[in-house]
Amino acid sequence: MVRPMIEIKNLRKNFGELEVIKGVSLTVNQGEVVVLIGASGSGKSTLLRCITRLEDIHSGEIIVDGHNVHSPDADINYIRTEAGMVFQNFNLFPHLSVLENVTLGPIKVRNIPRSEAEHLGFRLLEKVGLGDRAYHYPAQLSGGQKQRVSIARALSLSPKVILFDEPTSALDPELVGEVLAVMRRLAEEGMTMVVVTHEMGFARDVADRVIFLEKGVICEEGASKEFFQNPRHPRLREFLGRLLNDHAFSA
Amino acid sequence: MAFEFEYHVMWETVPLLMNGMGLTLYITIIGLLAGFMLGVAMGLFKVSKYSWLRAVSSVYVEIIRGTPLIVQVMFLYFGVPMAMGTRISPITAGIIAIAVNSGAYIAEIVRGAVQSIDVGQTEAGRSIGLTRMQTMIYVIWPQAFRRMIPPLGNQFIISLKDTSLLVVIGVGELTRQGQEIISTTFRAFEIWLTVALLYLLMTFTLARLLRMLEKKLMKKGVV
Ligand SMILES: Nc1ncnc2c1ncn2[C@@H]1O[C@H](COP(=O)(O)OP(=O)(O)O)[C@@H](O)[C@H]1O
Ligand SMILES: [Mg+2]
Repeated sequence: MVRPMIEIKNLRKNFGELEVIKGVSLTVNQGEVVVLIGASGSGKSTLLRCITRLEDIHSGEIIVDGHNVHSPDADINYIRTEAGMVFQNFNLFPHLSVLENVTLGPIKVRNIPRSEAEHLGFRLLEKVGLGDRAYHYPAQLSGGQKQRVSIARALSLSPKVILFDEPTSALDPELVGEVLAVMRRLAEEGMTMVVVTHEMGFARDVADRVIFLEKGVICEEGASKEFFQNPRHPRLREFLGRLLNDHAFSA
Repeated sequence: MAFEFEYHVMWETVPLLMNGMGLTLYITIIGLLAGFMLGVAMGLFKVSKYSWLRAVSSVYVEIIRGTPLIVQVMFLYFGVPMAMGTRISPITAGIIAIAVNSGAYIAEIVRGAVQSIDVGQTEAGRSIGLTRMQTMIYVIWPQAFRRMIPPLGNQFIISLKDTSLLVVIGVGELTRQGQEIISTTFRAFEIWLTVALLYLLMTFTLARLLRMLEKKLMKKGVV
């Protein structure tokens, strides 16, 4: 049975005078992988950040697994354990070891005993291929390793959905693959994911659905195969063309 | 009559200054402990989401930073007891003055350090479901605290030296004791020099201790 994990209804968001999200409606079902693309400044990050209330909204509604995120009596701390977030700049806690980064949530939010949390932490670090880095500090890791730790940290609360905001954009090109591989595995395991990315290969192969955001509105949306085979909107064609060009030059 | 430097006076004076030095340390330590707690509270008020807490903190900091310490001391010792109809001892007034005064500067140090931590750290903390308070305690504070140590060290040294102003209310700390000895021996040069060296010894030791603390907290990888 199809169960909606995230429902966004007619969302509007502005920063002062600037309207950034102009009436977006979107449903993400359980187990679905949705990739969000769009030019810089089109509102992708803002949209993700509204979903876990890192930003307030102007109007509309966001429901995560049945919880109305922006209602005044929402238990936002609980909702955030259901919807994990992975940031472009990792935002690992530099004063904590890799293992502590991954166990902080379970220990303080879930109140599980340290030994049990460490057991879970090791399992998650193994999962992202960093079991041998548990006692390192973030500054001792490569960018790709940092992002994998941050994925493990997001997983530590057993979220029902994970939001990724350009998880590979801050990485050297040769480190992108290891992060995408972890995300691919998560998708195969059935994790619900919303991913902002410029990695079109990932979008084509892993996403169920791709959404093109343009100036705060959904401009085109479709199952990933058709989406790339025949983009209809001229802005989307232009966008994809530019991406392909950039890649041709950078390759 | 030519001046003759009688260095033996210095040696003879040191034991006589020990009580004063002890009192200087006592007032400094108790005053700074209280000042630190006050400063942390006021510094965190400054970054609170409640505007009235920010206002309370701002008023306090502005008043203390905008007035001379010596006036604060006089007000506390002579003014406040008169208004309240009670008396406090000079030492108590001295400790309160050091606490209230250093608290304002420490509040600014705390605010600056907390605000210097990248907002992404708070967002990451909140994103794993930590409350505002938990994010402060486990994520922001440990990082901010490390950045506070050098400016805190400065403030501690300033406050230690500031205790010498307490001569004006008759607290028998190091400066006062030096003054008293001079009034009977008339060896101003040797005795002020001794007093100065004893202050230097204390500030130097304090600086070294803080330096050690800073090194100890510098875990691998933390910048
Ligand atoms: N905190 C903010 N304050 C003011 N403007 C912002 C803020 N965050 C984002 N914006 C603006 O909102 C628009 C959308 O930004 P963003 O969601 O980051 O776009 P994207 O992630 O697609 O590049 C941009 O014009 C950006 O300058
Ligand atoms: Mg963005």
